[in-house]
Amino acid sequence: MDNRIKEYRARYNLTQEELAKKVNVRRETIVFLEKNRYNPSLKLAHDLASIFSVTIEELFIFEDKINNK
Amino acid sequence: MKRSIIVFLVACLVLLSAGLWIFISFTEMNPMDLLHFAIIIILVAFAFFVGFKRLSNARRGEPAEDELSKKVLQKTAAISYYISLYIWVFMIFIRDRIEFDTEQLLGTGVLAMAITFAISWVVINFRGIKNG
Repeated sequence: MDNRIKEYRARYNLTQEELAKKVNVRRETIVFLEKNRYNPSLKLAHDLASIFSVTIEELFIFEDKINNK
Repeated sequence: MKRSIIVFLVACLVLLSAGLWIFISFTEMNPMDLLHFAIIIILVAFAFFVGFKRLSNARRGEPAEDELSKKVLQKTAAISYYISLYIWVFMIFIRDRIEFDTEQLLGTGVLAMAITFAISWVVINFRGIKNG
């Protein structure tokens, strides 16, 4: 599963620390998410999508979509 | 914050006990005891590192624990438990072949378990967790 967190974070001009505080996780968790080394829970995915005002599908790219490209 | 202080307290207590032990029996220590002491020092250093990490997170206004750290801890516990089974099988195997008294055997086994946990935590923390 790929994601566009880094892209949206840059668009919203947020630092990793600021985003971490907004979704109540540690900064390391955001680092791991951006490096694609952690698949978040549904709640965290929902919280992140809410912050960026997008749907979960827009923020997280699932493998079947990557294969279809 | 509360758990960070508990981590520090336990680490200090272990360090104090190990210091007392080495102070009392310094003249009659064998290489195995020195190895045990070195492992205890490494584990205490690891506990201090974890405690400081939690405190610095709290100071930045971040939670000391979140879903990733909890998953890392769960996976570490599962893996180190699995490896520990093999450690004890190995310890029982070498018991009859090397001169080891029961106390030494238990001490070495427990320290090996603790070291396994610390190494697993570092590796999983570095590699991350991905489902599937």
